Amino acid sequence: MHLYDLSSSSAPPRRTVPLAWFAVVVIVAAGVSVVGIAASYALRGGSSSGPLTITDDLGRRVTVPLDPARVVVLGPSIMDSVYRLGLRSHVVGVDCYAPALGGLSSDYSADQVALWNLSSSMCVQTGPTFDVEQLIALGPQLVLAATIVSVAAVEQITQTYQIPVVMLQPATLTGVILDDQLLGEIFGVSSASSSLANALQTVLAQAASLQNDLTANGTPFPTLLVTYSADGNGYWTFGPGTFGESLIELASGASISANATLSYPELSGEQVLASDPQFLVYGTGFGINESTYAGAPFWSQLTATQDGRAVGMDSNYFTEPDPTMILVGLPQLMAILHPGSSAQ
Amino acid sequence: MGASVAAPADSPRASGRRPWVLVLLLAFLGVGVFFSPILGTVSVAPDTVLRILLHQVSGGALFSHPCAGASVPASGCAGLIEIVWDARLSEIMLAVVVGAGLGISGGTLQGVFRNPLADPFLLGISSGGTLGAAVVVVFRIGVADQNLLLPLFAFIGAIGTGFVILVAARSRFGSVETLLLTGVALSSFLSAVLSLLLLYSPTGSLQVDFWLLGNLGSLDWTQDGIVFGVVLVAGTLLATYGRELNLLQLGPDVAQSLGVDSRKVRVRLLLLASVTTAAAVAFTGIIGFVGLVSPHVVRRIAGSDYRIVLPGAALVGAGFLLAARDLSLVAFPGTLLPIGIFTSFAGAPFFAYLLFRRRGTSTMGSP
Repeated sequence: MHLYDLSSSSAPPRRTVPLAWFAVVVIVAAGVSVVGIAASYALRGGSSSGPLTITDDLGRRVTVPLDPARVVVLGPSIMDSVYRLGLRSHVVGVDCYAPALGGLSSDYSADQVALWNLSSSMCVQTGPTFDVEQLIALGPQLVLAATIVSVAAVEQITQTYQIPVVMLQPATLTGVILDDQLLGEIFGVSSASSSLANALQTVLAQAASLQNDLTANGTPFPTLLVTYSADGNGYWTFGPGTFGESLIELASGASISANATLSYPELSGEQVLASDPQFLVYGTGFGINESTYAGAPFWSQLTATQDGRAVGMDSNYFTEPDPTMILVGLPQLMAILHPGSSAQ
Repeated sequence: MGASVAAPADSPRASGRRPWVLVLLLAFLGVGVFFSPILGTVSVAPDTVLRILLHQVSGGALFSHPCAGASVPASGCAGLIEIVWDARLSEIMLAVVVGAGLGISGGTLQGVFRNPLADPFLLGISSGGTLGAAVVVVFRIGVADQNLLLPLFAFIGAIGTGFVILVAARSRFGSVETLLLTGVALSSFLSAVLSLLLLYSPTGSLQVDFWLLGNLGSLDWTQDGIVFGVVLVAGTLLATYGRELNLLQLGPDVAQSLGVDSRKVRVRLLLLASVTTAAAVAFTGIIGFVGLVSPHVVRRIAGSDYRIVLPGAALVGAGFLLAARDLSLVAFPGTLLPIGIFTSFAGAPFFAYLLFRRRGTSTMGSP
């Protein structure tokens, strides 16, 4: 057996360092952190150069090259805007989930892949971990990113690799229009962005007109539940402050989850049955269809289901803050809730 | 009269090879660091990687055209250098530093608690860090500066949790069992608070997942330097406590009779382990099993002397995390997995193997 012979140190092992050095450890750690943070700020001052300085949706001031030829788009909603502005040829990379776990098809529907001519060679892995190597290899002059990318990754791209990143994450539907105008400014396609803005505002005006008519006539808004997923416990839906809820309000609908306390609550089967909405809109896409909802509680007992007023809609229309949400999603929802209305 | 006290039992073989073990571990780690830059999600030929590394290390004196003859991506040779030097090497160095920090913290906590299952995350330190990060995300604090505020709040959360444990340790009820249970309870409580916060901000869960799954990417050399500085200072101090930890294995009363103020030493070690873990957690999130497995590996090959276990666990931890990074890239080519998933995936069966390889023999040594 190995022994520690303490005979040579009959006095207790003493540590003469005072307790104060613990404070030193913390102070050194804090000092190193402060120096690092200061260095990060200093580096930030020397970020990319270019002729145009803009403020993005996170309030960041970003200097971007005018009309960049090589752009990486990280977010399907931004890709929608870019495509509608005729800028597809500028795009050299898009977001995707880990190639070994789903790749491009995890972030983009088959229709989007075909329409936008996307390929796996354009993949920049944004989830579950952001892969900066793939981004650098594509040699982008500009990155347009939604908040599917962490701010830490964005700052790394900006500071370490000197690639400007514009964060586009509108908080409202009006923000979608503003973002399109911002893209028009960066790429020098102001006329295209004005046309798109006009089209978006026209649809929003039609929705407002419908709402005014209904209110003037004293016609109550139809009640509805929009669900994007369901399980044995109930129906996942949109609560206050979400784009899904905004779309419902614009379409002159009365969501049964309008007073929910959570942004994305799950309503129990009992709650839905008690509310018994006039319309039930279920989200589709990415492998989800009507049969997915068949096992949800009281599905077949709901009046909307029995009367044929349970209708499927692409989930993206409720979740992706992009022009398609307004140009396609909103008219489609108005048509479901107010068939025959002249405002559609 | 001098006293001879039984120390953690080691085989003569184990005690004889101790000095070499650290040298060998260091050599293995060096080899790993040298070859790891070859692996990444973008294909770069090994000889090109080597040329780029030598070019960078020599300040451009060697291989003035490091990409000559190589297949370069759209970003050109400059992009290739950024990929190898800035992206890969900073990630590799972070793996080494964080692995070392978690390893030495794990060894320390197992010694303090005299419990083979103790690790940096058992005490809720990581939960505190994650909660700190979640507060920044959910309440949208300094949105444009989250890359700085997230690790700062995560550090504060982790170190704050560590201080709660320390307060418990300093109290008269601060027995080892009380401390362990306090840590477990605290961890559960903080996880519950985190879940509640995320319920109110599902969109924030994406960034919080980053913490929960562990991640080596998205850092730069400056942030690497911060982690390195903290781990170096706190880890070096920890490594000087091997003798006290050996005596603590004999029980607090015996240690006390031999002159070790067990409560004071415990508080100091907990503080240092908390600082080390907090620095790692703040930037990389939760990386499981490194702190748990590394000390056991060292005990298996070099015995239970904490003067060897602590630096050895740091080296094994560094190597383990680096190997996890490399193996994940080999197993899933072109895909970057959250490193925490892979360390748990690889660590759990390895840990079981270690435990069952010599059934009935404690891996902690016999006090």
